[in-house]
Amino acid sequence: MAPLVLYNYELDESCYKVRLALSMLVLDWQAVAVDVFPGKEHLTLPYLAMNPSGRLPILKDGDFVLHGTEAILAHLARSHDPTGRWLPAEGKTFAAVMQWLNFSARDLDVTIAARQHSLFNTPGDEATLRAASSRAIRIMDDHMTARGFAREEWFAAPHATIADIALFPAFALSRDFGIDHDEYPALRRWARRFRALPGFKSMPGIPDYH
Amino acid sequence: MNSPSNWHPLALSHSLEAGSSAGTRLFGKELVIWRDTGGLAHVWEDRCPHRGMKLSFGFVRGDHIACLYHGWQYDRGGYCQYIPAHPDLDVPKTFKVPVYSTEERSGMIWTTLSENPADAPEDRGDTLPLRSLYLDCAKDTAIAALGAVSLTPFASQGQADTTVNRVTETLYEVSSGQEGLLIGVQAVTDNRTALHLAIRGSRELFQGSGQRHFLDWALRLRYRIEHPRDTASAPRGATVEVS
Repeated sequence: MAPLVLYNYELDESCYKVRLALSMLVLDWQAVAVDVFPGKEHLTLPYLAMNPSGRLPILKDGDFVLHGTEAILAHLARSHDPTGRWLPAEGKTFAAVMQWLNFSARDLDVTIAARQHSLFNTPGDEATLRAASSRAIRIMDDHMTARGFAREEWFAAPHATIADIALFPAFALSRDFGIDHDEYPALRRWARRFRALPGFKSMPGIPDYH
Repeated sequence: MNSPSNWHPLALSHSLEAGSSAGTRLFGKELVIWRDTGGLAHVWEDRCPHRGMKLSFGFVRGDHIACLYHGWQYDRGGYCQYIPAHPDLDVPKTFKVPVYSTEERSGMIWTTLSENPADAPEDRGDTLPLRSLYLDCAKDTAIAALGAVSLTPFASQGQADTTVNRVTETLYEVSSGQEGLLIGVQAVTDNRTALHLAIRGSRELFQGSGQRHFLDWALRLRYRIEHPRDTASAPRGATVEVS
């Protein structure tokens, strides 16, 4: 079988989510490096042909081309994970994963904007972006606090799912846009567990402890 | 006076796992709380003397904490013991991080910035962690709100009045009948406050559904403080000021 191809930018946290999934699912894949900054290569014709929205990541699985981070995570989990654990089929667990993928795509989008503003000086008001990002991250901390009382360690299932993969980078990279981990104890504990999962990889901004 | 020489709670013991670190502030002063792999908690100034990097960004190995920047390792006393770039160097004793007295009482990690601290706060018996709340208000505002949200007992029958008891300058108790919460008050800055909430009582009685029960009170308290004009969150029978 032809390996999966990820159109990748190393500093992009959405690409990082897919790299995490590929690694944790132990899949055979190749990366095509895209010059996003400063080259804006993702906005050139060949890339717009694959994703008219002009965003990474883009995944190629044979001649199937897919964009949208959460869709790519779901595709990998459904079509390339024989265990079915990363996207459980059971009704309510499946729905809970979907709820958090939706949260990732919608509510955490502001954390991506905050980080890009901070790293690449893209437009935006720093204070507004930071306040909205803190609100979103606090929702995650509240959820994991309550999960802890039920002795649950992951967002949507008794084990890690693609929901945890989709949510991890916003918290792990939050210092890039001025939000410390100090006030999110439940997420600190969750992030420590996440880092210990087989196949975990870091990215620039997420330290490897040596 | 609520001065830096008092004992102040910085976190619930439960929220700092062995082998991990976290940053916090007390009266605006940056502190690192870390727990060595033997389980002992430490509170230090959050600054590596080498280049000023926050030690809370670093990592814990055994009974040392290492700076993320250049890997300088400090022992429990705050003394630098090892510099990776100069592995053979006998590190001078002057390379030291300021260390503060640290105690764990009533399910919370306490410190004092005083060099001659008073006795550590008395332990209030068995507790179970609830959660910490971080609030955009002065500590007095947070303390004043404690009695405004009625507490419903979990295990006992019937409804009792909600009472607020000041144990010390930095520890309060909100009770309803025989049940209650301990609330450690941390002045993060002049206008940011952390409340560390623990359930008073036994694990057998409150683990799981008891924690969920009191979490509801904590979230109502937070909502009340963050929405002071929303009268819908006022308890039944309470007097509501109309502005």
